[in-house]
Amino acid sequence: MRHHPAQSARTGSTRLSEWLRSGPLPGLLPLVVLLVVWELRGTSDSPFFPAPSSWWPALFRRGQGDTILPAVADTVRTFGFGLAAATILGVALGLSVGASKRVGRAAGPTFEFARALPPAAIVPVATLLLGFDETMKVVVVVLAAIWPILLNTSSAVRGLNPTLLETARSLRLSKTRTLFGVLLPSVTPSVILGIRVATPVALVITLLVEYLTAVNGLGALVGDAQRTFQPARVYALIVIAGLLSLIVNAAVRLIEDGVMRRRVGDLR
Amino acid sequence: MEPSYECSNLRAEVGSRHGERRLVLDDVSFTVAKPEFVSIMGRSGVGKSTLLRVLAGLHEPSPGSIVRFDGQQVVGPPEGVSLVFQDYTSSLLPWRNVAKNVELPLEGSLGKTERRQRVFEALEMVGLADRADAQPFELSGGMQQRVQLARALASRPTVLLMDEPFGALDALTKAELEDQLLGIFAATKTTVVFVTHDIDEAVYLSDRVLVLDGSPARIAADIRVDCLRPRTQLRTRESAEFLAARHQVYEVIFGTL
Amino acid sequence: MGRFDGLLPRLNWLGVFVMVALAAMWELVVSFEVAALRFLPAPSEIARAAHGEIFEGELVGRTIHTVGVTLLGWGVAAVVGLALGLALGLSPKAYQYSMTSFEVTRAIPPITLVPAALLIFGFSLKMELVLVIFGGVWPILVNTIGGIRSIKPELRDVATMLRLSRIGTVRKLVLPAALPSIVVGLRLALSLCLVLAIVAEIVGNPAGLGNGLISARQSLQPPIMFVYVVAAGLLGVALNAALGLGVRLLLPGGHTLRESP
Repeated sequence: MRHHPAQSARTGSTRLSEWLRSGPLPGLLPLVVLLVVWELRGTSDSPFFPAPSSWWPALFRRGQGDTILPAVADTVRTFGFGLAAATILGVALGLSVGASKRVGRAAGPTFEFARALPPAAIVPVATLLLGFDETMKVVVVVLAAIWPILLNTSSAVRGLNPTLLETARSLRLSKTRTLFGVLLPSVTPSVILGIRVATPVALVITLLVEYLTAVNGLGALVGDAQRTFQPARVYALIVIAGLLSLIVNAAVRLIEDGVMRRRVGDLR
Repeated sequence: MEPSYECSNLRAEVGSRHGERRLVLDDVSFTVAKPEFVSIMGRSGVGKSTLLRVLAGLHEPSPGSIVRFDGQQVVGPPEGVSLVFQDYTSSLLPWRNVAKNVELPLEGSLGKTERRQRVFEALEMVGLADRADAQPFELSGGMQQRVQLARALASRPTVLLMDEPFGALDALTKAELEDQLLGIFAATKTTVVFVTHDIDEAVYLSDRVLVLDGSPARIAADIRVDCLRPRTQLRTRESAEFLAARHQVYEVIFGTL
Repeated sequence: MGRFDGLLPRLNWLGVFVMVALAAMWELVVSFEVAALRFLPAPSEIARAAHGEIFEGELVGRTIHTVGVTLLGWGVAAVVGLALGLALGLSPKAYQYSMTSFEVTRAIPPITLVPAALLIFGFSLKMELVLVIFGGVWPILVNTIGGIRSIKPELRDVATMLRLSRIGTVRKLVLPAALPSIVVGLRLALSLCLVLAIVAEIVGNPAGLGNGLISARQSLQPPIMFVYVVAAGLLGVALNAALGLGVRLLLPGGHTLRESP
């Protein structure tokens, strides 16, 4: 539709005001009100509810400002390794469980039991057996985040259209080609979905482990701020954790869209 | 002329490995010569697909069956045989474009340049050379089936097995593809074994129509179609030879009318 | 999302065998007394410790505490979440002027709020309850709103034609239609409430299963630690099963509801 430039400007501004009125912005009202009231009622050294304006400065008090970026890096690193390991293990196990009914029934109860164990309860055991290091963190993250990926992979394999595998057989494709050229690409959408579900889990558990064990990372910083009674810093770090979570989730969603766009017609 | 397929005493069961099994084919015997266009006709569920899958090496027949391709007993998909599935959507790889789908059987055995050449030839034969970069989901049903056909032809098979390939298509597309298939048959002299439940289609396309009937099924009739080639939708289907062959097939299936 | 094959319906002998075999191997490995695994207790030790904890220890009491807090918090979260969800779901204006705030707040994982809760409420039952309630409200709220807003407008026309009152519409139309979504929210919230309760017990409130776990850790008694971990897991399974049973009994046809969105 062609618009005369002057007309466009007018339509543009009405469109903008329309968006302002009915888009997501008005919904911020309660939050804004809350923050304003908080700001007015709180003082910067209130033990429970320091005013929001004091949060950002609290990050840098006592020269603690330069611990933040390294901590974020630590958290992201554990999250990254954990998610990657969960993906590789989850896909490998999911392929075995999905491909053979027998394996599925054999491993099922054991997996279901392991899945039911709350990660928070696993942490003390993990520190006892593995110590207080990066490996322990990654192991706990994997134990928590592997399940969506495993389940999605195995159900994708189970639901695979038999014609696809027959095609591979009738074309006399080798086992390797069938695995990498046919099987893996066809379960990829489900795997990506599993990764998308596992991502927030992996991040939250990373923060939880850091908080409970103080090894490194954002979680450890929050725990430290809490134990030394610095509420403003605690809130500031919580906001940072929230932002990190938003960024990570958005990144995974972008990757998912990128992979899925190439096969829009694949409705499985 | 050496036969491409020889079957005698072919028996086949279907069913789960340890569950109930049903005898579907019993004492099926026939030969297919090179290059012939043979149709396997019969009601739905009689066992046509099973028979084709046995020829394709995807289904193991009962012991004692003799199924020979080029003189060798068939054990697994034989070299030189290509299969076109009915469900083209599930047989094409949705994450590859048309050209890469056609290239699939050639990977691992041919060099890049030769592969590209073969893919181009195959796509030219089915008339889709200009859609080489398209994704399967962008194409209509008829086009997708043509891509599958191109993939089957890319490996230059001696025998083309086709399992009700046009069953899911509308009548007009079906007619177009039938003619395209006949053109390919004439040009490449590939032997074709074509499964269908459509009597007119079987007669229109083939040199011989094998009628599968009974439960368990056997070859109830082996009918020669004397129509001249090249065949056309209009003239051939009105010819006396076509009507005669068609009459014979109907008689076998429905009894004397 | 789905589940793995379980022990039922037909008793999964193969699965049972695998579990038993794994336990036996575990027992064997521990008996070799490898230095790196010196803290790993054998299944037999764990079983003995479980017996001790149940009959002479505090397992039962702790379980009751955790279950109690979880259910209480979940109940309160359900009431609040449903009420708020109904209000926001039924009123487009209220929705428009508040939803983004909820979306933003929801994005903050409840577990990250544990430190804040500790600062404000200290090591107390209050802290545990507040955390459980706060965490549980969000899935219920979001799913209630989602369920209500996904009701087709044609159904509202039906209500108008039947001349239903405002309350009547809610009772006979809105709630039943939104029910599948609401139940999913309740289920998610229950799991979340249990996890939050345990986390709160680990770091804050000296009671319940979480605390039992930490006590055993501090007194370096690995077998008892494992008992509490398993107990926590079993509790989660039991609560979910109970909710599923409740849904099936109270809502005929409810068992057809999907396990997760």
